[in-house]
Amino acid sequence: MARKIGKALVVGAGIAGIRAALDLAESGYGVILIDKSPHIGGILSQLDYQFPTDHCGMCKMLPLVDRDASSQYCLRKGLFHENIDITLSTELVSIKGEPGQFQVMLKEHPNWVTSDLCTGCGECVDACPIEVPDEFNSGLGTRKAIYLPIPHAIPNPYVIDYTVCTRCGACEEMCPTGAIKIPEKARGDFRILVVDDELIVRDSLKEWLAEEGFAVDMAASGQEAIEQLSQQTYQLMLLDLKMPEMDGVEVLQKTIDEFPDLDVVMMTAYATVETAVEAMKIGALDYLVKPFDPETLIPMVKRLYQERAASEGRQIEVGAVVLCGGTAFFDPASGKNTFGYGIFPNVVTHLEFERLLSGTGPYHGQLVRLGDGQALQKIAWIQCVGSRDLQLEADYCSNICCMAAIKQALVAKQKARGNLDTTIFYMDMRTFGKSFERYRQQAEAKHGVRLKRARIHTVDRHAACGDLILRGVDLAGQSSEERFDMVVLTVGQRPIGGANDLSELAGIELNSLGFAQTEAFSLTRSSRSGIELGGSFTGLKDISDSVVQASAAALNASRILHAAGGSLALKSSSFIPSTDVLREVPRILVIVCTCGVRLPAAVDTQKVIEQLTADPLVDGVDFVEQTCTAAGWEHLEKRVAESKPNRILIGSCLPYVYKRKIKDLGQRIGLNPSLIDVVDLASEYQKHVLEKEPKEFITQNVTSKLEMGIARLKWIEPSAPPDIPVIQRALVIGGGVAGMTAALAIADHGFQVDLVEQNDRLGGNLNWLERTLDGHQPTELLQQTRTSVEKHPQIQVHTQTRVVRSTGEVGHFQTTITDAQNTEQTLDHAVTILATGGREAATSAYGYGTSPVIVTQKELEEKLSNQPLDATQLHSIAMIQCVDSREEPRNYCSRVCCANALKHALHLKEINPDIQIYILYRDMMTYGFDESYYTRARKANVIFIQYQFTEKPQVMANQESVRVTVIDSIINRPIQIEADLLVLATGIIPNLPTQLAETFGASVDEDGFFQEADSKWRPVDSLKEGVFACGLAHSPRNIAESITTAEAAAQRTLRILGHERLSAGKVVANVHHSLCSLCERCIDACPYRARSIDMDQDRVLVNPAMCQGCGSCAAICPNGASVLEGFLEQQMLEMIDAAIG
Amino acid sequence: MKTATNLDVYYEAVSASDKLAPIQEMIRACMQCGTCTGSCPNAFAMDYTPRQLWRLVLLGQKDEIFRSKTFSLCSDCYLCTLRCPRGLHLTEAMDALKQIAAGENRAEYKYSILFNKNFMQSVRRHGRVKEMEFMTNYFTAVKNPLVPFRFASLGIKLIAKGKVSVSWLPKARFPLEKIFQKVNELETPP
Repeated sequence: MARKIGKALVVGAGIAGIRAALDLAESGYGVILIDKSPHIGGILSQLDYQFPTDHCGMCKMLPLVDRDASSQYCLRKGLFHENIDITLSTELVSIKGEPGQFQVMLKEHPNWVTSDLCTGCGECVDACPIEVPDEFNSGLGTRKAIYLPIPHAIPNPYVIDYTVCTRCGACEEMCPTGAIKIPEKARGDFRILVVDDELIVRDSLKEWLAEEGFAVDMAASGQEAIEQLSQQTYQLMLLDLKMPEMDGVEVLQKTIDEFPDLDVVMMTAYATVETAVEAMKIGALDYLVKPFDPETLIPMVKRLYQERAASEGRQIEVGAVVLCGGTAFFDPASGKNTFGYGIFPNVVTHLEFERLLSGTGPYHGQLVRLGDGQALQKIAWIQCVGSRDLQLEADYCSNICCMAAIKQALVAKQKARGNLDTTIFYMDMRTFGKSFERYRQQAEAKHGVRLKRARIHTVDRHAACGDLILRGVDLAGQSSEERFDMVVLTVGQRPIGGANDLSELAGIELNSLGFAQTEAFSLTRSSRSGIELGGSFTGLKDISDSVVQASAAALNASRILHAAGGSLALKSSSFIPSTDVLREVPRILVIVCTCGVRLPAAVDTQKVIEQLTADPLVDGVDFVEQTCTAAGWEHLEKRVAESKPNRILIGSCLPYVYKRKIKDLGQRIGLNPSLIDVVDLASEYQKHVLEKEPKEFITQNVTSKLEMGIARLKWIEPSAPPDIPVIQRALVIGGGVAGMTAALAIADHGFQVDLVEQNDRLGGNLNWLERTLDGHQPTELLQQTRTSVEKHPQIQVHTQTRVVRSTGEVGHFQTTITDAQNTEQTLDHAVTILATGGREAATSAYGYGTSPVIVTQKELEEKLSNQPLDATQLHSIAMIQCVDSREEPRNYCSRVCCANALKHALHLKEINPDIQIYILYRDMMTYGFDESYYTRARKANVIFIQYQFTEKPQVMANQESVRVTVIDSIINRPIQIEADLLVLATGIIPNLPTQLAETFGASVDEDGFFQEADSKWRPVDSLKEGVFACGLAHSPRNIAESITTAEAAAQRTLRILGHERLSAGKVVANVHHSLCSLCERCIDACPYRARSIDMDQDRVLVNPAMCQGCGSCAAICPNGASVLEGFLEQQMLEMIDAAIG
Repeated sequence: MKTATNLDVYYEAVSASDKLAPIQEMIRACMQCGTCTGSCPNAFAMDYTPRQLWRLVLLGQKDEIFRSKTFSLCSDCYLCTLRCPRGLHLTEAMDALKQIAAGENRAEYKYSILFNKNFMQSVRRHGRVKEMEFMTNYFTAVKNPLVPFRFASLGIKLIAKGKVSVSWLPKARFPLEKIFQKVNELETPP
């Protein structure tokens, strides 16, 4: 099998990291996925509910083709993929080399719990005396120093937080499996030399440090210190700066070269801090200002010790790096804290509130007041805490908070069964994403979430009842006071701690705010080639945008790997083809893991053997002490080699963990891995043991579990998973910037692409876009992209061409196109990308069309670039935002218009500072870093007037000028504006005819945009595999965002194009044609559109690559004609017999 | 019936040389969130709330601004400045409005201006306010026999609590004359 051998490193295993890793793994690369924390999932592991479904759905990211390469269960619990190597508690140390050949140094935190041995019994937790705030519950609860990072992970070994552990050893004594090994003398091995001429300093330092278990020696002078250093190895020297004879700097100079492994920390009086800083330039690590107390000294020494204790770095070679550095949040207790966070118990951040909502949270999802435990009845959200705040130097919007607050309000209402009053205090409700606006309106109108445009300045607490008092003013200026049980502060984004270090070691640039900086027109490219950026490291993102961006980052990383020659090379493999055992009588070897002494203690093993061997098909029953250990597995393999069974059943724990081992084993002994199965016995008998059930009962239960496994294996058909051939070509429809980007991305991987454009030239909307808000040049981008596309040997451009029809499915579509001369041509391709674009909506509102001085945003841009409009001659311009938008029938925000208005306003002000510009808006959607341009425009004297949806501006125009009357909500009275020009922001409508979408089996949403398979987790996929969308056909986006969707869509196609044959999962549906009555119910039932009817042969067909094995078809079929492989009727009945027998 | 505020196309009302222009400049970044109004302890007594006042300043509605008593009610508590998310120096902007009003000797603020003037004179002379002297001077200056009556009840309360020194005190030992001269010097444009 052709396999790519390139390797990529993905740093950060949050949602973006997981997506990028899966994308690269699915297209055949090896991926090393690391995370600083001891678990995967990032922030998402703490969030249970996501809008718009108010559920999770993370599992939808799992591979859909070649499914068996990966785990197929809850992704919040864990992730296994045969191409992904996950290393947790690991940090990046350095990245050297160049794109295609990076040498990366990683450092793993010490792990004192052997995860293979940990059974998760939790006895260590009871023994541990240390209690610290629990970060999983955002500090709302506490945990021990030995703890489960997240309660639901599988496998879920305990970890020790070595930064707080005192190494008392209590857990080590309690552990029944001996999984914990605390390096006892570790601190004793860490020798510290204290050099000071004052005895009292030496003595107290020695006392403090010795108490912590460190080995401490003292020296009274520089000379003495040098002598001691030559006799004994020290790890750390605490060196006084000012000493008679030889001062600290001199000692440092004399020792630094000779003892390169010695860390030196200077001790200095306040007056000589500058000298200490100088010493750091010579090579001292840090300095301490005297007088200091143990609280300053000990943590510093501990930190240095831990840095050393962390296991030695590991160097790996990778071709590309995807950096998903994640995000931090504003701490509302810092600064003025007028909201009383940390002072009043019921003032929480929105992250803490997520934990309160969660069933795994500190209150098990019960919405109660913290403190008195009463049911919550009134909750308020305060938006923009730490965002859009110039005093806090946060001149940006944090993107996700508005939707997060609405979602939380809805989920909370649902949890409280309606007995909850929710109010969100906001400044602008930024519902700029696809479907956001409708979600907001429904929350308000249908579910009664109150949205109040008001900024709360202070939270007070009623002394007697503890209610929180919020005071604010409404738009009319009326002050009001309201009481709430709880106040949720929707806190804004901050750069991660250590962002500077990360940027330095990775050699990438940060923006002025401390977030990772991306290149022009890209959301993923960092300033260093070969290092791609993903997730909220570049600015806070919701799931959908994170997933899109991560796929795009994977694509760009894949490009580097491909260019470095890392693709389509043969991977050497000692693969033994499976022997065909179909016609053999099943001989089943049962191997049961005893888990030390646990199983024999709970179960009568002899009885198990007796019962199982009664079945003639069972070849033997064998007990192995620990299959999870290397020795245990070896024993198992030996046993298999001896008896040569043709089916193997392993009874142990956590079947998920065995996936890769089983595959290896199968390949080594030439047995199809589907004939090896693992049943979970441990959780079964451990549960019963805890409940103190009698031994016979537990034995019976364990036996039935094994019998079920035997029944399943007996009936298993050892056929190879089906696969389908792939025509390794792609079709991209639409030659705008998204289509061209997607085509280039695919073609750069060596696959042929047909690019179909209905106009006579490529470029789409870039043909008229002159500038962007952030000052980049779309014209240059167009030039470059168009030239690359036209020159690319793998891209065939078809201009003035339309798609007539298409048939087929993933792997092989046949699409007929017709050109200007009506010549038809049929293209064969495996995948389709719909990049048909969008355009500015037409309007008849506000007198458009009655006067030449009323123009749209696009017309203004054209007029400014072709110069028929002389801005120096203009006196006054009015702009109206949200024209026909955010109201039925076009009830969505077009995302780009506010930025566009600012772009024009700032440009016009630059040409002619005397121009008066009025922007009439509903909510300024300047999300993310665009917020700073909003501030800039305000400062440039652009007047912003917020109008109410119910009282839209009135326009009266003649041929030269226009008079706009608008009610200013603040002073609540009409204002008349005389303007030379009125600019209407009419928004974007898609160019995606329903018929075109349907011919490829995709569908469009109620606004005519592409309907994604899942708006959050599969944002560029269609429900029908093999069809993807990007650019404006997908959703309104700016240029960089459109390009990102295009890259993401291209990446999604590479999963398919990269294979000559696409292999399905083991569990796929099939049809017994002789039983089928062609009622077609299964076709409607299939959620993946994997079924079709072949009219010629009167047959229902299943595309095995599209089928996800859900079994809906088998359940709905009235004749039993539709079956699911691996779930045969006889097999199921026999398993049920075993279960209840 | 609401009156329409007609915005002048050329913005003649607020030219760059206008006194209002620097105040506009100070508060340009305002996004009308209302934190100032919400935190203002005197907002209840104002005819325009601070947010409305800033809006009028941005819209250049000079006549309305100086008809309003909002800025004269500002007690310089700095709460709005402290809490403004845009970091605007709103208290300073209020002061600037007061200074324009005082500088132009606008009739609407006659009493406020005289109050301030006499108060400061008393401070200048004694290093603190001498209530009796100040009251006498103020009441003489307003030339309205009704004004003293307005203060009568407050005055009685203050006297009862010993807050008003009735005796004529000698001159202060450390007169503030020099400081006042320096301020004058600084404030007088060269």
